[in-house]
Amino acid sequence: MYPAIIEDYQRPESLQEAVAILSGYEPGDAIFMAGGQSVMQAMKSRMVRPRCVVDLQSIAELKGISSANGLHIGAMTRYVEIAGAVELAGANAALRDAAQHVGDRQVRNRGTIGGSCCWNYVASCMPAVTLGLGAIFHLLDPQGKTRAVQADDFFLGPLETARGDHELLTHLSFETTPRSGSAYKKWGLVTDALPVVGVCLKLSLDAAGRCSAVRMSLSGLPAGAQRAPAGEAALMGSDGSRESVARAMEAVVDSVECHSDKWADAHYRQQLIRTLGQEVAATAFARARGEQ
Amino acid sequence: MKTVSITINGERYEETVPARMLLVDFIREKCALTGTHVACTYEGVCGACTVQLDGEAIKSCMMLAVQADGHAVTTVEGLARGAELTPLQQAFKAHHGLQCGFCTPGILMNMSEFLEKNPDPTDEEIRHGLVGNLCRCTGYVHIVDAVRAAAAQIRRGS
Repeated sequence: MYPAIIEDYQRPESLQEAVAILSGYEPGDAIFMAGGQSVMQAMKSRMVRPRCVVDLQSIAELKGISSANGLHIGAMTRYVEIAGAVELAGANAALRDAAQHVGDRQVRNRGTIGGSCCWNYVASCMPAVTLGLGAIFHLLDPQGKTRAVQADDFFLGPLETARGDHELLTHLSFETTPRSGSAYKKWGLVTDALPVVGVCLKLSLDAAGRCSAVRMSLSGLPAGAQRAPAGEAALMGSDGSRESVARAMEAVVDSVECHSDKWADAHYRQQLIRTLGQEVAATAFARARGEQ
Repeated sequence: MKTVSITINGERYEETVPARMLLVDFIREKCALTGTHVACTYEGVCGACTVQLDGEAIKSCMMLAVQADGHAVTTVEGLARGAELTPLQQAFKAHHGLQCGFCTPGILMNMSEFLEKNPDPTDEEIRHGLVGNLCRCTGYVHIVDAVRAAAAQIRRGS
């Protein structure tokens, strides 16, 4: 558990400088370091052996939450900041739910939303939550060109994303839809552990208080962060009653592949989807009604 | 090799180190500050190597020493003023919070920042704050007692 030899360490102060350094290396030979709470582990286990580490800590543009012209979160914004951000309410409150329970205090003081999404570990919270909320990922390439990628197209499977080898994730943006609420909850073996299963739900209500738009995602399953379209279809028109949510969660359980491992068997994971689904639905509906 | 300048407990340490050196090894081996412990094999799971980076608790096996260049680190040696222990350290002594003592430095560095952010925590909040620190004496009761007592003492003192 000690990194292989690292030939060079760079700490750029601008976005352009950061992508320029990376483009000077063959793909995989230089890596961006955000909070490092996943990448350091991968380096110590020699799963990745970068020749150059490009530390993003000094680039101010990558940090912080902005509510002007929609909601934008810099890639280097840490869990501790997201956990305490009161502006993340209603449609985007699930970000706080997740950030408050990632790892532990020490990890939340370092780990970042962008780092977690770009690493896209199979059992992690931020990929599932940003997918559930329909985030847009903004990428910058060494030529200075930017592109925006929908969450559905960004996550390609565990440890795989649409980010090119020489691209930098600069920020994520989120819709701030009225009469909307979101929630995320996971279950792990110990407090704040990686999710055995996690459920994220985001929904909007019509004038009659019925669900008029919904996105649902899951964490902890073999495919990594994934949508649950059967659950979304079943929740359309729901008033949030336990019966309607129960039907939707049965549709999810019938449609997704749950696996058995040493942490939990498939039946237990299915039961977690039912139970967590009820809890996040209750919270998301309450937030959409403005009750929380 | 990179030359770094890291301020630890108010003292500046300038050393030339390999880029792959972990911050915890810089602290223990270059600065001979061995109060910061390693209990797991640098896997980031035990919390014994917790120090404060610019006042915030972090695990020093989870970052490179070069990343701390230009920053201020506080280790457990930086808590007491001479022989005068902090209220948190005194409370650990009074409530038998040390037990074998191996995990204690990491817990002190985490909880001293925790109490700055949350001066009047519930027991549940204290336990939630301790998630990143393993005690294999298997007893968190005395540790929670000590943190609660320290919080009350600090509130009385301020």
